[in-house]
Amino acid sequence: MDGRIIVITSGKGGVGKTTSTASIGAALAMKGKRVVVVDMDIGLRNLDVVMGLENRIVFNIVDAVNGKCKLKQAAIKDRRVENLFLIPASQSDNKNAVTPEGMVRFSQKLKTSFDYVLMDCPAGIERGFENSVAAADEAIVICTPEVSSVRDADRVIGLLYSRSITPKLVVNRIIPEMVVKGDMLSHEDIVDVLSIDLVGLVQMDDQVLVSSNTGIPLVLQKESKAGEAFRRIAARINGQDNLPIEVPRPKGNFWKNISSRLGINRGDHAERIHTQV
Amino acid sequence: MQIQEHIRLKGVGDGVTVMVDPSCSQELLEDELSHVFKKLQPMKANVEVKIDAQGDHTALTRKLEIFLKDKFKIDIVPRPNKPSFSENIARRQDIHDSWHQYQSDVLMLAGRVRSGQKVTARQHLIIMGDVNPGAEVIAGGDILVMGSLCGVAMAGQPNDEDALILAIDFRPTQVQIGGRVAAGMPATKAAAEFACVENNVIVVDDYLKAKPFKRLAWPQVR
Repeated sequence: MDGRIIVITSGKGGVGKTTSTASIGAALAMKGKRVVVVDMDIGLRNLDVVMGLENRIVFNIVDAVNGKCKLKQAAIKDRRVENLFLIPASQSDNKNAVTPEGMVRFSQKLKTSFDYVLMDCPAGIERGFENSVAAADEAIVICTPEVSSVRDADRVIGLLYSRSITPKLVVNRIIPEMVVKGDMLSHEDIVDVLSIDLVGLVQMDDQVLVSSNTGIPLVLQKESKAGEAFRRIAARINGQDNLPIEVPRPKGNFWKNISSRLGINRGDHAERIHTQV
Repeated sequence: MQIQEHIRLKGVGDGVTVMVDPSCSQELLEDELSHVFKKLQPMKANVEVKIDAQGDHTALTRKLEIFLKDKFKIDIVPRPNKPSFSENIARRQDIHDSWHQYQSDVLMLAGRVRSGQKVTARQHLIIMGDVNPGAEVIAGGDILVMGSLCGVAMAGQPNDEDALILAIDFRPTQVQIGGRVAAGMPATKAAAEFACVENNVIVVDDYLKAKPFKRLAWPQVR
């Protein structure tokens, strides 16, 4: 098996890297692929909680990379979603416990036994980022419609390009009502600045918080808009390139939707925000 | 008589123009000139004499002028400043050479300069693309951005205050020219603007309206 290693990163913290990793991982696994999600945030592990696998951790990534356990021992199998595995981070070590060289060696092993390896990169661009990116073939940059998030994503994209990885963009936490009013950056503004391929748009959804707290995968919730968006992102990653990108629209008001689709209903606010980016 | 064949006198206003035949030798012309001017001795004091050698013989006319000045104390009209034909050609050649021979000192880049990236040029810098917020572009001379400039631009480093910064979409977070700094500029709409130093202050103006180089006589190397 020759798997793809995809790093999910953003630069800024709190934009939804962990949620995205868990959701895309689960969605890919539901398509019948063998998927492992790797929590690279050593010292501040979260992915296990979001996936509801906290109480089953015995070994972690530090043990696996440093040869203290076998890959099969470190990979925790998700009971709800077939073919989904988690390699948790260590909570007691710091980021220096793993080296980029160690990660490259470990990733070669992961590649042979999984179709997809999703790396949940920590915030920042220091050692944790280096470790996550060292072995990656592809990257997904998560960005929210905030000026600070766009700035950090831009920096990260530059760093990824310098390692000859071409990243793809996911815009997370879009509030369509605010975008229509011109109080929030639209995804066009963000793509304008970052100029990389868009792979999906995810709108703000209360279900995300519910699923993180309960540990039930977001993509299993049929009525969740964010879950649907992540399923589409997973499909696009899995080779369905022609799947159109659905732009989140505010509820109701058919005519408003039409006019915003034609780009006539953008107030002066949009101009103002645009100049700040 | 020989005299009529090689030099002719022509009254022009208050003075006299002496037309000489440039094909004759200098000695012959001098001989004939002295012959003529001996006869004109009484009027020489307040007459202005101009020598015309019919064409381009500056060396010959100059020599004859000096000869007349020395021998007869005649006022010679200063030659008009109008450049001769060959001088014109030479000058035109010079303008051409000023950029034909010029070795470029420009760093020209295509693409996007992203946050955290820093581009440094020894001389002028041209970026065909955007400069994102958080990026830095630094040049010893001018900076031209063929796109939007949203980051920090430093031109004329370290101390050239004649440098300018131009962008098609000019929205920088900070601009420095030479030692001058302009930060916290008000957000403006997208427009082709430029920054330069005027009276020790950085001034931003609309490029197409202000046309900073419109006074230059001809294109020159910057």
